Amino acid sequence: MNKKILGIFLFASLMVSSAWAQGRKGLRINEVLVTNETNYQDDYGCQSAWIELFNTTFGTVDVRSCYLTNDRNNPKKYPIPKGDVLTEMPPRQHLLFWADDMPNRGTFHVNFKLDPTKDNWIGLYDANGRDLIDSVTVPAGIPADHSYARIEDGVGKWVIKGGDEQSGYVTPSTNNITLDSNVKIEMFAEHDPFGVGMAIMAMAIVFLGLLLLYLLFRLIGQISVLIKKRNAMRVHGISDKEEAKEKGFGRESGEVYAAIAMALYQHFEVHDVEDTILTINKVKRAYSPWNSKIYSLREIPHKK
Amino acid sequence: MGFVDFLGDNLVQFWEYTGFANCTLPHLAMIVVGLFFIYLAIKKNFEPMLLVPIGFGILIGNIPFKIDAGLEVGIYEEGSVLNILYQGVSAGWYPPLVFLGIGAMTDFSSLIANPKLMLVGAAAQFGIFGAYMVALALGFTPDQAGAIAIIGGADGPTAIFLSSKLAPNLMGAIAVSAYSYMALVPVIQPPIMRLFTTKKERVIRMKPARAVSQNEKIMFPIIGLLLTCFLVPSGLPLLGMLFFGNLLRESGVTSRLAKTASGPLCDTITILLGVTVGASTQASEFLTPSTLGIFALGFMAFIIASASGVLFVKVFNLVLPKSKKINPLIGNAGVSAVPMSARISNNIGLEYDSTNYLLMHAMGPNVAGVIGSAVAAGVLLGFLS
Repeated sequence: MNKKILGIFLFASLMVSSAWAQGRKGLRINEVLVTNETNYQDDYGCQSAWIELFNTTFGTVDVRSCYLTNDRNNPKKYPIPKGDVLTEMPPRQHLLFWADDMPNRGTFHVNFKLDPTKDNWIGLYDANGRDLIDSVTVPAGIPADHSYARIEDGVGKWVIKGGDEQSGYVTPSTNNITLDSNVKIEMFAEHDPFGVGMAIMAMAIVFLGLLLLYLLFRLIGQISVLIKKRNAMRVHGISDKEEAKEKGFGRESGEVYAAIAMALYQHFEVHDVEDTILTINKVKRAYSPWNSKIYSLREIPHKK
Repeated sequence: MGFVDFLGDNLVQFWEYTGFANCTLPHLAMIVVGLFFIYLAIKKNFEPMLLVPIGFGILIGNIPFKIDAGLEVGIYEEGSVLNILYQGVSAGWYPPLVFLGIGAMTDFSSLIANPKLMLVGAAAQFGIFGAYMVALALGFTPDQAGAIAIIGGADGPTAIFLSSKLAPNLMGAIAVSAYSYMALVPVIQPPIMRLFTTKKERVIRMKPARAVSQNEKIMFPIIGLLLTCFLVPSGLPLLGMLFFGNLLRESGVTSRLAKTASGPLCDTITILLGVTVGASTQASEFLTPSTLGIFALGFMAFIIASASGVLFVKVFNLVLPKSKKINPLIGNAGVSAVPMSARISNNIGLEYDSTNYLLMHAMGPNVAGVIGSAVAAGVLLGFLS
């Protein structure tokens, strides 16, 4: 019994940890700024290099115990501390880490700096320090206050952004691309203004779904009828298939069973006289104080 | 300030808080609508399980009060009791629970015995997409049109679920419209059924369905879930719960769970859903020109859905052998108003042949309609969200 419980517990733990791991697999390094001269300031009013993470999933992901590093040989360089609620990343949101080598300034200040004169490799490792979740190599020579960022949050190619509309703005802790409308709906409004395309596509999918179900259950039904037919033939001792077909073995209607069930019910369950049994046996009831009337009545208080 | 002035001021202030002082014509109009729903439910017996909670909810939602007083009583005021109960509608978790109950109380055996009836359930979904096209023509955006069109599926929980995702601002009108038309199935469908069928077709006798084994009944929800949700994962909340509820029923080993899902749980959610949907029809939010458009479109969607089910059976009969012809009177049951539309098929069938019981045959497309409308909702959600 204990082994069973232990097994269930281990299985549950495995499922929970794999669910966590699944969430963390959705983390991405999203934007990096190496030389910060006039850009974003931290809570201390300092301008340092920063690394932005993005949660691509639609669930909250906690990054505690993950590792940020700029050294391939030292994956556990900066363990993201436990016990800070701010390490929880809401769905599709960002988290900024300052690469200022000042870990004593808080959870989001890592213990390394980025070097603007050479390529900077940055890696994000899972809590085991072995599984690389995401990495990026930021090329050397990116101008000051320009960031190296994905075009779209969490996906797509990396580009250098900074300062003007053409190259894109640096966007610490916000979306790399601003979506002010639902692209899908705009596409439908533009290309299918009368809804004919939607009607055709959607009806085709609905029909396909139910058609597949129909075909499958037609097959299952045929197999079921075949099995029933064989059983009935065995019970009746018939070996001729034609005779079995004539007698409708395997295809008995539900009505037949309903009639049999009703007949049985009428026979066994329905009585003309309810609750009363006529008997010649002596009926003996054992005495019990629980059914004694005297205990269910309140006694009149004694007058002394 | 004297004592009398003090009392007078307080009474004036009290008066300003009362419903009488804040009452407007739209409030009264909505109260009349709520009373009408209650009347239909109690006196005419039109879907009382739906119309009593919704009708009374309309009364609750349209009691006038001083909006800027911060009383936290309105359904749209954050933190109010009604608002908390309304979360199940706005966040869309009541409908899947209702589907769990529907699954646990639905016997799919008539559909399993005659699986071609699934196609009738699919055909009736054309009402949804017909209404979608008209809604676009009337100037609704594609997402709003999709949310409105789902009324044609004749499935209240699905309509609420989809509108909460695609057009939350129209949800009240869509939900009330969907439930109203479901209640009015006995009025709307018979003329359409008579219009599109001949007397000869109405007396077609269908072969009694074969008995379905328990194994088949157990396989149905499992295969149904895997097939439909692999095709339309966005329908997962509804289809997942529907098939799960059905497995609880058919497995034979979880009868207690099935009983709870189809009984107390479903009843509880139906009460909360009905009353909060009714209360969400606050006059200020509800009485708008678009509401009238939604009601008109919903009506049209219902008619198209019923007609397309009947017409599909007629076309289908052209390719079926004589012994396997389907009575087109069961085509209307392709909309998923379970079991009202199947009952209508049966009643109309009995009018023309008093020994021709179509109920069990009609339950096939009826439950296929539930699956079909959930798939259609998943498709709309996948395309438009």
